[in-house]
Amino acid sequence: MDIWATYQRKLEDVQISPPLAAILALVDLCATSTAGTMFELVKALNEGSDSLKQHSPNPISINAGCELFIAFVTLFPHDSASFSDLKMELVKQGEIYVRQALTYRRKIGELAVDFIKDDSVILTHSYSRVVMETLLLAHRSKRISVFVTEARPRGLGVKTADALTAAGIPCTVILDSAVAYAMDKVDCVLVGSEAVVESGGLINAVGSLNIAIIAKAANKPFYALAESYKFHRLFPLSQYDLPSHNPRILSFPPPIERDTVLASSTSPIPSSGYEVFITQEEIAKNNPDVDYTRPDLISLVFSDIGSLTPGGVSAYLVGMFAG
Amino acid sequence: MASETPNTPTLRAVETLAWKLRRRQIVGSRATALETLLVLRQVISKSRFSNMEQLVSIIRSVGRRLVEAQPKEHSVGNTVRKVLHHIREEYHTATRGSAAASYSAFSISKFVLLGQPRKQTALPKTESKGSLKENDPDDPDSFARSLKPVLMEAIQDVLDELETVYDNVSKNAQNHIHSDEIILTLGMSKTVEAFLISAAHNRNYTVMVLETAPSYGGRDMAKALSGAGISTFLVPDSSLYGLMSRVNKVILGAHAILANGGMFAITGSLLAATAAHAHSTPVVVCAGQFKLTPLWNLYHEYGALDFGDPSQVLGFEEDSLVDKVDVVNPFYDYLQPNLIDAFITNDGDHPPSSIYRLIKETYDDEDNEL
Repeated sequence: MDIWATYQRKLEDVQISPPLAAILALVDLCATSTAGTMFELVKALNEGSDSLKQHSPNPISINAGCELFIAFVTLFPHDSASFSDLKMELVKQGEIYVRQALTYRRKIGELAVDFIKDDSVILTHSYSRVVMETLLLAHRSKRISVFVTEARPRGLGVKTADALTAAGIPCTVILDSAVAYAMDKVDCVLVGSEAVVESGGLINAVGSLNIAIIAKAANKPFYALAESYKFHRLFPLSQYDLPSHNPRILSFPPPIERDTVLASSTSPIPSSGYEVFITQEEIAKNNPDVDYTRPDLISLVFSDIGSLTPGGVSAYLVGMFAG
Repeated sequence: MASETPNTPTLRAVETLAWKLRRRQIVGSRATALETLLVLRQVISKSRFSNMEQLVSIIRSVGRRLVEAQPKEHSVGNTVRKVLHHIREEYHTATRGSAAASYSAFSISKFVLLGQPRKQTALPKTESKGSLKENDPDDPDSFARSLKPVLMEAIQDVLDELETVYDNVSKNAQNHIHSDEIILTLGMSKTVEAFLISAAHNRNYTVMVLETAPSYGGRDMAKALSGAGISTFLVPDSSLYGLMSRVNKVILGAHAILANGGMFAITGSLLAATAAHAHSTPVVVCAGQFKLTPLWNLYHEYGALDFGDPSQVLGFEEDSLVDKVDVVNPFYDYLQPNLIDAFITNDGDHPPSSIYRLIKETYDDEDNEL
């Protein structure tokens, strides 16, 4: 079975986020697996999750889903008579969970809405389904207006702006570099997340860290929204500990031969009428997709299991994975 | 449903308390918590119910009534929540075994919420207590009759905790205050008073008490402390910042501790805590756990603001001014968690960051909104 193709197919549903798609792919693997023992099944699931991670350019959120499901499988208390019964039970549990998980955004929205004041300006970053849900929910009872960053390189902020404008929420796209300029007008920052890690920190589209630092400097609350299946047992100490980091990111190009530099121009800086050699794609290639926001910059994490201080996240992760 | 409305005498007790709260005849978190508990005990002992839902809804309706009467006294709601939590616990111990084994209900969402399945939960299936029967058509009171004694015990536990709260908070006072230290405090807090007096049994130290205008609770505090033989200075509020460089520790009382680790406390506390922050002086809060409130500071417009009597600020003797100025006399400040270093409670010392966990342990999530 091609698990990557299954994963891609699951992801076509716009409501399904990468960790859930990964869980669904593993559930399918479970259903079709010929494993006859727990050991074989867990081995197959681990191989499946490895294969998913290898195919994906950004394995962080897939990893969160896979780890959750595999931990659940290994810990599932069973007294089934036959192993195939147990597999069916696991498949059923996985499907039930994904169905439940689709209601989580709503739940998070309801928690977060209480923290949004009437007549407030909210800054958000890139595009996040859970942030959209929250903003639309807030729009029903409160007057809100939204700044959304353009969020280069993927430019998903425009998608957020389109959707919010269509819903009648005043919304302006701002440049990633204009966040500090806008911060004084902002009442609170709401961001979604790719994963929430054990320190309580946040992995999200690149630029979140900038916003968090600026929000902290301006004394504005920075709220992260994350469904609990995005909790990920990872403890990055720096940006370069993220699994998404690779040597290409932030690499320097090989130096140009000295002779060619001398030949082309006498002054090192082209003074006038110089051509642009670097394309947007080339810039994106050497840049990260996600960054890590430290927990001390985050005011609260809203999740389907409640509003947590960043430290509260680790209590849940330890509950699941340690012991 | 007839059984859901409490009968007249208990209803009267509830109403009396509600009016006392509304007229502020009972103030202070501990006093209100005690009164609430006594009324709840009366309600539970008098009311008729034949299943758990009825009991919970009776208590909730009483709780709602009292909280609405005085929404700023958070300890009323906290006491109701705590009683509900204890009742559920007693109910679960009484019915454990007869309920279906827990493991069949194990799911991924439970796994996320509760962590790894514990071995014990799957085991005890044997000790089924047949005596507890809900919705018995022949004898609708049998459920209440068999549960009431344990409920009374549970309430007694809460009551005992409230009555010993000062002793337990000040149990470790000598570990927090060292000899020859200078302590700054403000306002009149019974908890802080007990804490400081207890420390004075073993330590020789100095207390500076801010007057705490306009209520001047600091004067009473200074009187109480010097009466107990502690070397005490009563200082005006305005000298707070100047004195802070000589202060070793700031000890504050709390009105309510919020879920994020922040708190509501008497006005002036924010000023003192901010000044302490600027001097990196530790800020310690003494409070009983009945002040833990499962709320966030969500009242944006009216903040922690509970307004006191304006005549304390500007009396009618200043009649030429009275109609020319607006006088605001806010009662409480909201302190952010980052201004507080530790909470000393009747059950151990906790940093602000772990308050949310205490709250999760003390109350049930479903009761946060009564």
